[in-house]
Amino acid sequence: MKLYTAKSDTVTAKRIVADDMILTKDMPTAAGSKMLDGYMSLLEAEAVTRLTAAGYGICGKADVGEFAIDLVGETSYYGAPTKDGKLTNASVEIVKSSEAMAAIGLDVNGSIRRAAAQGGLVSVKPTYGTVSRYGTIPVACSGETVCVTAKNTDDCREVLDVIVGHDDKDGTSLSETECAKLKKAMPAKSIKKVAMISEMCENVDAETKAKIDAVRAKLAAKGIEVTVVSEPMLSSARVAWNILMSAELCNNVSRYDGVKYGYRTENYTCIDDLYTNTRTEAFGELLKTVILYGSDALSTDNYMKVYDKGLRVRRLICECFAKLFGQYDAVLLPACSKAAYTEDMVAADKYIAFSENVFTAPASITGLPTVTAGGVQLIGPAFSENALFEAAKLYE
Amino acid sequence: MDKETLRKLELLNQLSLTDAQKADVLGFFANREEELNILNAMNTENTERMVHVMPIMTVVREDVAAQPFSRDDLQKGAPETNQGYWCVPRVVE
Repeated sequence: MKLYTAKSDTVTAKRIVADDMILTKDMPTAAGSKMLDGYMSLLEAEAVTRLTAAGYGICGKADVGEFAIDLVGETSYYGAPTKDGKLTNASVEIVKSSEAMAAIGLDVNGSIRRAAAQGGLVSVKPTYGTVSRYGTIPVACSGETVCVTAKNTDDCREVLDVIVGHDDKDGTSLSETECAKLKKAMPAKSIKKVAMISEMCENVDAETKAKIDAVRAKLAAKGIEVTVVSEPMLSSARVAWNILMSAELCNNVSRYDGVKYGYRTENYTCIDDLYTNTRTEAFGELLKTVILYGSDALSTDNYMKVYDKGLRVRRLICECFAKLFGQYDAVLLPACSKAAYTEDMVAADKYIAFSENVFTAPASITGLPTVTAGGVQLIGPAFSENALFEAAKLYE
Repeated sequence: MDKETLRKLELLNQLSLTDAQKADVLGFFANREEELNILNAMNTENTERMVHVMPIMTVVREDVAAQPFSRDDLQKGAPETNQGYWCVPRVVE
């Protein structure tokens, strides 16, 4: 099991591990792919710059699944991280071992939230646009977000506070006024009413069900009303997100051609061979499938039927959440259906990340903030991170 | 999705799949096409597309010439360079 793809000898007391989707200048960034094995970036992520300036030290790079679209990291070029026969996640293991107080990483398809839920950690996926994506490997730009994972809500909140803020270098960065709403000094409206989505809580294993029940009981004990609500539309977010994510990924990874940087095949006689053999040899199977699916969604025949439909459904999902937030302060759902994944599960269904993301897609496609703690996700309206942290503190 | 369309997609995306991979991918596409029915059952006729989830303003900045990275730096990670140029196989016979 390779947890680190690179290590730094930082001596700072406050050590942060960055996952391998976050660019660093002094350590390579591979995005879990043979294509970028050993790649040294000329720039570093804005989140890294802010953390370093605030006295935190990046102690290393944690391995990720190839371009972070898998379950928890099992598609990495460097091998699937496992522990006690179960799949695990490099960032989670590093934080659990206290080698770092927190991890920062790019949540593309929910792997960070699934890993935190299964590993018993706390993770925050902040409101889209409040943490700069400058210096992250682009995959699905319209929904991916820099996240923080730590052992508890306090550490998570502390690190988020440092990296939140407007950044001119990121075209999707929100204004400083809006970003400031996330600062921990800002007063938070307490969460009083939570909607638990029934459809999402049905097809989960016994251990995950027990986690949901435990969180529900702890919230109720603190006087927070948890209501079971049927909202089947949220389950369809997965289908729309799979389309949008694949389409954006297809475009974003088209830059990897073996010419300017990264892997180049040795097996070529002409330019077409160079492109094709480079990409064929360097990309993993899941990634190739997603590229093809995204390309098909954007094709002339399917653009309106598939991609355009996905964009319109995204609005319906946002409207669905807006309706829920008219009655409730937050939405509770699991982050995954199983307490742990195994290599056998992935071998039986290599595209399992495209079904298991039913729990994470609603927040990905809407950009809404999510705090994962106690094995479940709590989703709130935009800029409600402080309220989510306060509620999560009751059951972390 | 049929084999011929898949072959076109492979060419378009500079990928070459084995027969076993093609069978897997066709299965993946079949599942996704089935799932599309879930979206098709949703009426989006009067729903606007949503490209950005947050109101995004076009970023403007001063038009100041700058050279953030030197050519040498940019070529440090290149598989093959020659006298400041990236090398590729001959494209004009």
